[in-house]
Amino acid sequence: MKHELVKLIDLSRCTACRGCQIACKQWNELPASKTNNFGSYQNPPDLQSNTWTLIRFQEHVDSNGKLRWLFRKDGCMHCTDAGCVKVCPTGALYHTEFGSVSMHPEKCIGCKECIYACPFGVPKYDAVTNKISKCDLCYTRLAANQPPACVLSCPTGTLAIGTRDEMVAKAHARVKELGGDASVYGDQFVDGTHVIYVLTEKPGVYDKLPESPKVPLSIIVWKDVLKPAGLLAAGGVVAGAFLHYITHGPKTPDEETTSEGGNKL
Amino acid sequence: MKKGMIKATGPFERVVHWCLALSCLFLCITGMGMMYHSLNFIGTIFGGMGNLKVIHNYTGIFFGVSLLFAIVMWWKEAGLFSFPEDGQWFAAAGGYLWHVDNMPEVGKYNPGQKMFFLAVALFGIAMVVSGLIMWFPLGYSVEMVRWMFALHALGYVVIFAFFFIHLYLVTIGAPGSAPAMFSGWVTRGWVKVQHPKWLKEMEKDGTLVVYGEGKASAKKRC
Repeated sequence: MKHELVKLIDLSRCTACRGCQIACKQWNELPASKTNNFGSYQNPPDLQSNTWTLIRFQEHVDSNGKLRWLFRKDGCMHCTDAGCVKVCPTGALYHTEFGSVSMHPEKCIGCKECIYACPFGVPKYDAVTNKISKCDLCYTRLAANQPPACVLSCPTGTLAIGTRDEMVAKAHARVKELGGDASVYGDQFVDGTHVIYVLTEKPGVYDKLPESPKVPLSIIVWKDVLKPAGLLAAGGVVAGAFLHYITHGPKTPDEETTSEGGNKL
Repeated sequence: MKKGMIKATGPFERVVHWCLALSCLFLCITGMGMMYHSLNFIGTIFGGMGNLKVIHNYTGIFFGVSLLFAIVMWWKEAGLFSFPEDGQWFAAAGGYLWHVDNMPEVGKYNPGQKMFFLAVALFGIAMVVSGLIMWFPLGYSVEMVRWMFALHALGYVVIFAFFFIHLYLVTIGAPGSAPAMFSGWVTRGWVKVQHPKWLKEMEKDGTLVVYGEGKASAKKRC
């Protein structure tokens, strides 16, 4: 690995200007889809195949009865133990030298397995191209030693990118400064994500943010147990059959039958 | 065809068997091409992984239809265990693993074959159902789709392993078996060793068909 990069999202500084959302669209040449108003500033309502990052708007009443308007920049978390990479049958999804999860669109066959393997609900399917798509942490920009478009656009200092140690230290320092329910989210699960939040509230408060995300058990059973078991079972049977043949011997018809299988009458 | 051979299967039975067997094998190979990255070259043979997925899916439909025919055709004979003799057969591992003096006489299908039939039938249905959901997953609950992937993999583990047992036994493991699914005619000696009860039943019912003889004369041969 060249050098691991982590994007820090300090939600205490986010004003929901959505500059990152637009910058992402612009850099990645993602058009807008027709949207619908569901009574929130949040637009579009969810991540889409052409919306890789999204500011979620959430009205939250805290324990003191105070109304708080929470903003969360949602998008790919770039897990180290990434469910999507684990299930991708073609290697279209892969880990880059920065630790982020990028994608070879030409390899994607639209099987949609990653959609179900992701604990964050990130990959989105595009029926027109028959491919999935998601944030790649601006891989081409990282490769050119540039920050991702969202980070570059952020006017408030919510977004930053840097080495893992640097960002984790920065996140913990900020949480200490904020106090209260503030916490660091992302350095403790799925072997560490490459997107880390500073949350101002407890993780469970945020919409669509799992408290302890992990690769689903069904996916582990599928890929880590049954996948090797398939070869082990078949290999075991072949070996067993061979052993049976050389020790016990075949079950042959009696002397009535010739070795050619014909009948002696 | 030599005189004295015994008819074991009809043409329709053999066609269904081979439709099921070849589509199943093809599904195993194409599926493995998607499951193991090191076997992705199987996709290349078909012009890419996208094609491999399409071929796998449509072959699955063919497999499903073949399976339907197979189940309707065989479930009575191969899908039901008869006790106590099948229990005794299992207790003796069919006489395949150690020497057994008093084996219960085997009918048309031995309990091992019944197990194979049931495994293919039950896991086959599971494969078709889970496969269809994997093909069109959008709209189902996320947790269910996730378990469908695991179920599909489990079906593969079971069927693929059973396939090799089947392959061994019909070739070098129990010589004389394979002609039942090629020409349909097997030797009397083979039937006597493998399915003696079936032979007696056919002789009793007058359903025994011997090559070169009429049905009626079959009884006389014993």
